[in-house]
Amino acid sequence: MINRTFSIITLFVLFAATSLTAQEESPKDMNAQIIKGKGFISYPSYSGSPFLNTKFLKGEIEFLDGTKVKNIGLRYSSYRDEIIYFNDYLSAQIVVDKISLKAFSLNDINGTKRIFRRQNYDGFLTGERYFEVLSDGRISLLAYRKVDLETCDPSYSKLGLAYKQSYSYYIFAPDKGYAILKLNRNSLLSKFDKPNQKLVRKVLRKNGVMITDEASFVLAWNLIKENEIPVNF
Amino acid sequence: MKRKLVLLLLLFAVFSVNAQEKESLNLFTDRDLYVSGETLLLKVFAAASEQSGIVNVDLINRKGTKITGAILEISNHQADGFVYLPDSLSSGFYLLRTSTRTDNALTSKELYIANRFTGLPASNSDMQSAGVIPLKETFAQNLEITGVEKQYKLRENGHALLQLTNELIYQVDGDVSVSIAGTTQDFTTTQFLQKSEPGAAQSNVREGINIEGIVTDLKTGKPFKNAIVYLSIPDSIPGFQYFITPEDGLFNFQIGKYFGKIPVVIQCFAKDKSSSLKITLSDHNNFKNEMPDFERRIFTPEFVKYIEKATSAITFRKIFNQQEITIQPAPVVKRDAYPYYGIPTKTIDPQLFIDLPNFNEISKELLPGVKFRNYNRNPTLQVLNTAQQFYFNEQPLLLLDGIPIRDLNVIKDMGTKDIDKIEICQNERFYGDLIFPGVVAIYTSKADYTRVPESNDLIKLNLEVIQPRATLNTPSEQKLSDPDLRQVLLWKPSLKPAPKMELDFRTSDIKGRFKLIVHGKTRDGSTFYKEQIFEVN
Repeated sequence: MINRTFSIITLFVLFAATSLTAQEESPKDMNAQIIKGKGFISYPSYSGSPFLNTKFLKGEIEFLDGTKVKNIGLRYSSYRDEIIYFNDYLSAQIVVDKISLKAFSLNDINGTKRIFRRQNYDGFLTGERYFEVLSDGRISLLAYRKVDLETCDPSYSKLGLAYKQSYSYYIFAPDKGYAILKLNRNSLLSKFDKPNQKLVRKVLRKNGVMITDEASFVLAWNLIKENEIPVNF
Repeated sequence: MKRKLVLLLLLFAVFSVNAQEKESLNLFTDRDLYVSGETLLLKVFAAASEQSGIVNVDLINRKGTKITGAILEISNHQADGFVYLPDSLSSGFYLLRTSTRTDNALTSKELYIANRFTGLPASNSDMQSAGVIPLKETFAQNLEITGVEKQYKLRENGHALLQLTNELIYQVDGDVSVSIAGTTQDFTTTQFLQKSEPGAAQSNVREGINIEGIVTDLKTGKPFKNAIVYLSIPDSIPGFQYFITPEDGLFNFQIGKYFGKIPVVIQCFAKDKSSSLKITLSDHNNFKNEMPDFERRIFTPEFVKYIEKATSAITFRKIFNQQEITIQPAPVVKRDAYPYYGIPTKTIDPQLFIDLPNFNEISKELLPGVKFRNYNRNPTLQVLNTAQQFYFNEQPLLLLDGIPIRDLNVIKDMGTKDIDKIEICQNERFYGDLIFPGVVAIYTSKADYTRVPESNDLIKLNLEVIQPRATLNTPSEQKLSDPDLRQVLLWKPSLKPAPKMELDFRTSDIKGRFKLIVHGKTRDGSTFYKEQIFEVN
């Protein structure tokens, strides 16, 4: 009797395992048939990298109508603010039409999902931009991962030009727009009223958070969000 | 243990069967008797599990041939619509059949339609289906209809109050439908189920409206693998889909949310230009279902009288051009903000320039970066890749009113007067797994697609898609002097259930028996009704 029960359970487990394997080997996402774009033309090779991720990472794109294409190779060009998709069937790199997209995400090498959202930026150099969503909510914390081509010391680059990171950080609310931030404690505190600044300091102190880089800044922001301290924005 | 397992399996099987029985569509019409030229109003309740979002309603004759129909969008597990009954219908019994892609049970309802020119058959009888098992509908105990008089005069205002208990309101899935229409005492028809199998090979696509077919080799008649099938919907921003056929040559497209009738062009290409292909579309309505048995039915005098009255009523309505329904404007559906071939690098309006007789001249004079040559009657077309400053070797994607064409002879004689606009993309464009070495999109002045000829590998369709909503017309105050010959006094297919529902109606110039009937569906899948009869004298 026990043997029979055991064999039934084994059969179920086997069945479940087979189903899982079948899912893993699922065919290509048919929604990929509606990806529109133009051929990618290589950038001039200077020092530094024009890409956020040089290698193609698995990711997902979401069109304006909510249709998603999952599990495709993507790399983000910080230099041109473009998302490049690798079409396996054609072995071609395609710059996906920005106008067709709502958002995209990349799974970085640590397995972290990085979400980028297309938004209209109404400040200096207005236009549609991909912003990385560092923290989402009624007020979002966004990063614009821009890379500029700048002149540099010939000892650094023979051609005298290099791709240099020029990231900008914003807080954004749909009804209030953008407010630029710098990755330091003072810039963060400046977004709060005097009485609330005390609360912010207290929360950061209590959690032992020192703002030194992007990660600690995001951590501090999330703590403030959790404690529902109102932002003066 | 074995017994328990068997018992479990049996229980599972019983529940599955029960569930299947409850999952059928339910179909209600405003009447059971019609005259050709009239409009049939219908209401469909769908199962909560229905995924297709679309229900096909077909009017079929006794032989099972589709005569007309409608495609309705299911919203909140229900749909309503109408079917124009053509004057070409001969008198007889017909079936109104509903089907979806996810359900292999067809719900049918029998109707009698008399031709308004030929009248009833001389034999005073006709063949009616027999032996069908009607779908059960429960008489609603906890729904009251009050305020309806037993008799009304012609053109008298009437009022009805529907009272639903809270228990029923909680149970109702979706809305309730209410109608008041002419009826006869001795003729009612019911809805019944028919099992079916899809007639043609169907894809696994379960949602929306689908176009399916097969690509075959014209010479051998065998299915053709790796043919590229394009579906184009010509418009100011054209719609486009493609499909690469597998081994079996089958293809399918899912049409998005379009309303009314739309032009659709389906064409196929082989990668090897020497192959000749043929497209054959599948018939969705070709269900392998058996028609019920038929037996002769003798018409009663009341039946004959009703048909005579209805015939003269519809004839007068046609003379006075009184429309039974008003079709509502189709909802605005957000579509792509730019064409599938990308935002054009250049847009040229040739009519702003001097008159040029052919496309060769237009390309030379007006289209920098586009090389159209017609040497030795062998036209060629190339587009400049502006990013890399060379001409693509291959022919670009050439579109005529959004329809891809390969034969350049179609455009070679087009002059500036024939062209409304030319859009050019001077880069390598991608659409899914397709590569376009540049794009030249020509929009003609007439936009009638006549330059694109039909052939074995190109089919032009005027496709009926989702039917727009319609409302029943009631006579306006200004036109009270005109005869009011409405057979349907009230048609409210989607009323939100409430404890008290007030209904106002006005009788017409038609005398006879009328029926107010309420239909609804509960969350457990069963349907209920309540009716009240009154006379108009």
